[in-house]
Amino acid sequence: MAETSMTRAEKRQLRRLKRFDNPWMNPKLIWGVGLLLGIIALGLIGRVLWDPELVFTGSAPLKLPPIGFENIRGQSGVLDHPLGTDGGGRDMLALIIIGAPNTLFVGLLASLIGMSIGIFLGFSAGFLGGRTDDTIRVLADVMITIPPLLILVVFQSAFGDVTLTLMALLIAGFVWQSPTRLIRAQVLSMKQSGYVQMAQLSGASTSHIMFNEMLPNLVPYLFGSFIANVTTSIVTAVGLEVLGLGPQRIPTLGRTIYEAINAGALIQNLWWWWGIPTLLLATMFIGLLLINLGLDEVSNPRLRKLS
Amino acid sequence: MRISKPLLAASVLAFAAVSGAAFAQDVSREETVIFDLDRTIQDPENFNWMTPGTKRMHGAHQTMWEPLFILNYGTGELDPWLATEATSEEDGKVWTVKLREGVEWSDGEAFNADDVLFTTNLALTNDEISSREASTIKAQVASVEKVDDLTVKFTLNNPNPRFIVENFGVRIFGSFLIMPEHVWNGENAATFTFNPPIGTGPYTFTSATSNRAIWDRNDDWWGAKTGFMDLPEPKRVIFLESGGEESRAQLMVSNQLDASQNVSIGTFEAIKAQNPNVIAWYDDYPYAAADPCARQLEINTTVAPWDNANMRKAVAHIIDRNQIVNVALEGATTASRTMFAEYGSMAPFIDAVVEAGFELPAKADVDAAAALIEGEGWVKDGDYYTKDGETLSVNIHVNSASIEYTKTIDLIVEQMQRAGIDAKSVPVENGVFWGEVLPFGAYEMSYSWLSCGSVNEPWASMGRYTAKDVVPVGERSPGFNNTSRWDGPEAEAYSAIVDDIGNRALGDPEIPGLVAEAYKHLDAGTPFVPLVQSAKLLPMNTTYWTGWPTSENYYNHPFFWWNHTHQIIHNLEPAG
Repeated sequence: MAETSMTRAEKRQLRRLKRFDNPWMNPKLIWGVGLLLGIIALGLIGRVLWDPELVFTGSAPLKLPPIGFENIRGQSGVLDHPLGTDGGGRDMLALIIIGAPNTLFVGLLASLIGMSIGIFLGFSAGFLGGRTDDTIRVLADVMITIPPLLILVVFQSAFGDVTLTLMALLIAGFVWQSPTRLIRAQVLSMKQSGYVQMAQLSGASTSHIMFNEMLPNLVPYLFGSFIANVTTSIVTAVGLEVLGLGPQRIPTLGRTIYEAINAGALIQNLWWWWGIPTLLLATMFIGLLLINLGLDEVSNPRLRKLS
Repeated sequence: MRISKPLLAASVLAFAAVSGAAFAQDVSREETVIFDLDRTIQDPENFNWMTPGTKRMHGAHQTMWEPLFILNYGTGELDPWLATEATSEEDGKVWTVKLREGVEWSDGEAFNADDVLFTTNLALTNDEISSREASTIKAQVASVEKVDDLTVKFTLNNPNPRFIVENFGVRIFGSFLIMPEHVWNGENAATFTFNPPIGTGPYTFTSATSNRAIWDRNDDWWGAKTGFMDLPEPKRVIFLESGGEESRAQLMVSNQLDASQNVSIGTFEAIKAQNPNVIAWYDDYPYAAADPCARQLEINTTVAPWDNANMRKAVAHIIDRNQIVNVALEGATTASRTMFAEYGSMAPFIDAVVEAGFELPAKADVDAAAALIEGEGWVKDGDYYTKDGETLSVNIHVNSASIEYTKTIDLIVEQMQRAGIDAKSVPVENGVFWGEVLPFGAYEMSYSWLSCGSVNEPWASMGRYTAKDVVPVGERSPGFNNTSRWDGPEAEAYSAIVDDIGNRALGDPEIPGLVAEAYKHLDAGTPFVPLVQSAKLLPMNTTYWTGWPTSENYYNHPFFWWNHTHQIIHNLEPAG
């Protein structure tokens, strides 16, 4: 009865409230996810519509500007290479189609592995306590003080040409500490809560309590931590690539910037060579930041705003 | 704001004090010439040039140590320097060198035949010293004796009409530098650090760190006193490690560098657009000066599957030289037709090789390569060839000091990948590349120019790949010769002919025919694949100094890391 008496405007208001009531549907999160999906879509659709062979050196004329611009020699951009080409004769559009998802892939994979290690160690430390806790805590604390780039530079120089997966694995070795500590702290406080003690009393196994009872309550934290880790991993990966230590023949955004700097792109005013990958990296980081802010709202209701 | 202003002023002052201290002793920028150094000085406290490392090209053999003669690339003659003349007897088996009168070390001691005798004997008797020049002396000289204070007589193992230009004439990069006996006497030449160093040159050592070396003029230089030459104009010479192409370019634009190492054409044009005072060898495209060291892909002939000559020939077929010229070098050079540098004086030998049918094609012939590889039992499986479950792959070591090198190898990697070989580039730091990778054979393939040497006769280049210089992997190749470790019947046949060429006088009419005959064996063995001619685009800045070597002002070539740079520095005039 009450519903039928509402005006249309009131109904719309209610729908909107309901929608914003769902914390997962906040605009920051949607925008962030949208930006990242956009980059993934660029990679997937681009591979179909554009020739991925153009990422290899010598496959196009050198140093062509994007359409509508002129380079220092007075050549203007051509339709065959709409975003221009680099100093090694690689098509910029093909480079970002292949390179941007690669960069994202390294970040996601490294973070995924790092998180898995972090979840396992964090739960073990927090729940089991005692010696296990001491060992894991000290290990994580020590690892947190070591600057990852320093170690990774040495590692990658020793490995020579690495694959994307190997690079992700190496980075994963340096992104498990913060999730470990975060989860350990949460588990310690959760251990005292009624439902956990109830489960213990009813004889549930340790792993059951850890992963079936406690883990679901940690999901928002885990997501937040995961996204933060993706950002860290991408920063680390790009840092290595910009130093010329990433994979050599597999295009990534960082390596493109490295090659641009190395070949004097700044002085030759080949702005598209370093500018386009930089722009994409910025988009990626803004996307990740928005997701992080959105997830904050999910896990912390006080941040939610009613419109 | 009130606080920050004095703070700012203080920090500016502090910065000025710090940067001022680095270039102390009030030599103004107008009186200083700054050269670019393309590597880190790994051991700035050590000046023993007979041991490996950056001991010469950071200014030591450009300002402090002088050669006996300097080969003038413009005239083809030897310009006398510390020596005045050299004569030979018995077709070049005995050489008499006359030293210049009045030459002094910077500590006032006289430079004379004793120093030459002492240094030569060091090279002959000490087995541990390893520089290329010392190894060459050791291989060639049987004995040396003093005739009088200014005359030295060398007796060689075999007649060598090129003895002087090869060892004392700065034909390529350096020369056998004479060291002061009164300082070196009693020291172990393999471990002595020679610090502080002295020389006969118009500059003395002031200071060095890993990224720069400073040399100051010695106003008491013997050359000015004897009337040999005026004192050079620059009061101070600095060799500064600039870093990569971008920083080289920025330093040239902002006049903080007077002569830069090689840059790409695009970068040079950008520098010129921002600083019109910057010049190069030619006024116009392609700007660059021909370098006698043509580029090559060196193949280690001891590592399977590249120990098989057919596999090496297949690699030679895969190389597309035109693409290297157009992409890696932006059209600034030409494809090599033979192993030789395309100098006018090399034409008879290049023509002989071309006529004999061994001219290298500018384009690739991937089908010919596939036939050779499949002939050795490899089968293409997907992207790559495989045999017994093993993928055909290769690591190519490349010196990371210049983008010319890395771009060329990136391209060769691409060409090999497309032809079915899983090639990878392994960039290595300059010092490691020359110090550890190449001489010890610690590579499968590498990018280098080790067949470099010939500028007016064929032997200097061809003689670098003879079988007698083969040493096992892990031992140092003598003087970077035959780092491919090319051995076997073809190599023996080649070496026999090359030795014959080596014993003949310059200009012997039979030499071109012999070159073609030797080349047949070289082609069959393919210990290296000649790639492209080298051209060096060296930006030089006329803001503070003029008189740089150019095609119009050709007193000698512009490669200012060579021992002949004394001539460049003597030719510099203040621009103001």
